[in-house]
Amino acid sequence: MSNDSIFKTFLVAFLLCVVCSILVCLAAIVRIDKEAYNKQLEIRKTVLFAGGFQQQIDDGGDIDELFTSNMELKLVDLSTGEYTTAVDAATYDQKEAVDNPELSEKIPADLDLAAIGSRAKYAAVYLDKSGAVILPIRGAGMWGPMYGYISIAADGTTINGFTFYQHAETPGLGAEVDNPNWKKQWPDKQVFNSSGKLALKVVKKGKYNPSAADAVNTIDGIAGSTVTGSKVHGIIRYWFGEHGFAPYLAKLKAERG
Amino acid sequence: MAKAKDALLDPLFNNNPIALQILGICSALAVTNKMSTALTMTVAVIFVTACSNAAISAIRNHIPNSIRIIVQMTIIATLVIIIDQMLKAYLYEMSKALSVYVGLIITNCIVMGRAEAYAMKNPVGLSFLDGVGNGLGYGIVLLAVGFVRELFGSGKLFGVTILNTVNDGGWYVTNGLMLLAPSAFFLIGFIIWGLRTWKPELQE
Repeated sequence: MSNDSIFKTFLVAFLLCVVCSILVCLAAIVRIDKEAYNKQLEIRKTVLFAGGFQQQIDDGGDIDELFTSNMELKLVDLSTGEYTTAVDAATYDQKEAVDNPELSEKIPADLDLAAIGSRAKYAAVYLDKSGAVILPIRGAGMWGPMYGYISIAADGTTINGFTFYQHAETPGLGAEVDNPNWKKQWPDKQVFNSSGKLALKVVKKGKYNPSAADAVNTIDGIAGSTVTGSKVHGIIRYWFGEHGFAPYLAKLKAERG
Repeated sequence: MAKAKDALLDPLFNNNPIALQILGICSALAVTNKMSTALTMTVAVIFVTACSNAAISAIRNHIPNSIRIIVQMTIIATLVIIIDQMLKAYLYEMSKALSVYVGLIITNCIVMGRAEAYAMKNPVGLSFLDGVGNGLGYGIVLLAVGFVRELFGSGKLFGVTILNTVNDGGWYVTNGLMLLAPSAFFLIGFIIWGLRTWKPELQE
């Protein structure tokens, strides 16, 4: 039979498609379960990092075990600051909720310091055993969205830790937000000042004065990445503002006397 | 035997896909800011070129001429999807760093080029070696570029600190250009220059 006959052409095309589709399906089956697990593991690792468990992870601690024994997932209604059970916490996906009109709301332009347009109504927060809360934050970076977690101690104002798990900042400049040496200045800073006003800020590299009265509210920026610094500033100003976690943190503080 | 040696070793220097044929430049710019991503990409491309060459060569006497290109594409695409899915499953961090560039191996001209130019005319074993050789030729350039970029851009090799950078409290001021894609253009340019000075017969 000639290779170029119509029958042979269809036969070869058909057989090739069958074989290739089977191979692709098998690969996809292997991937789907693993990928879902990998994504969950990444979130868990970030939450633990932000929550101050970096040492245990570096020492080879099991991430799943550390997470399940230390962290409790709760949903917070951002407008009231109360916990909510309106949706199931275990299946709730805050990233997807942002695109769902029923589960999200527009941010007024003058309040939108993180430049995200809209936010989910409910935030998935993690409570750890010490009473600290680990809050999800996000905002526009220089080249793309930035996602991270910040941990606040039981007093509702002291930062335990901070980390981004997804961003597209310039390598070597803005991407230094991942540098442990930069992140280590976050713990023990105060989000609110003594009169309860939002005071946390990120300043341009070199403008940080360790002896100033507000040094405890100030984060030194990153050399060569003024834009990323100001974006991170916007993100924390939005998420600790009245439209973000301020009502929730106030409740938390009041509850604990 | 000599033919097998040629199929494997010729693409390394004498007929290097990047430095001589100027193919596959896109991914060579994108994945070379770290040695680890460059190495993973190299392994992925070797897998795809070797297996696609072998598979296409195995059925070369049955491929109708009229659908020859689409048959090659289907085989290549299948292999690329398999390696992409495996990276997502077993090397999740790495697959995030390589992002779309694993999928883009499909459009890497090296793979198509070898299938059409070599695998359609040569037996399975030789085609397989030719695929490995071309993948290696691509990989050598990638690793050379990655070596310079990671060392001078981040002061590290495979993530291990070699030059202690200022940002980490050391002395080395990193070269920001090396972290950005355009630096790979310059480096590949120097490699092409060096190769053609070493082997003047490669000059056009």
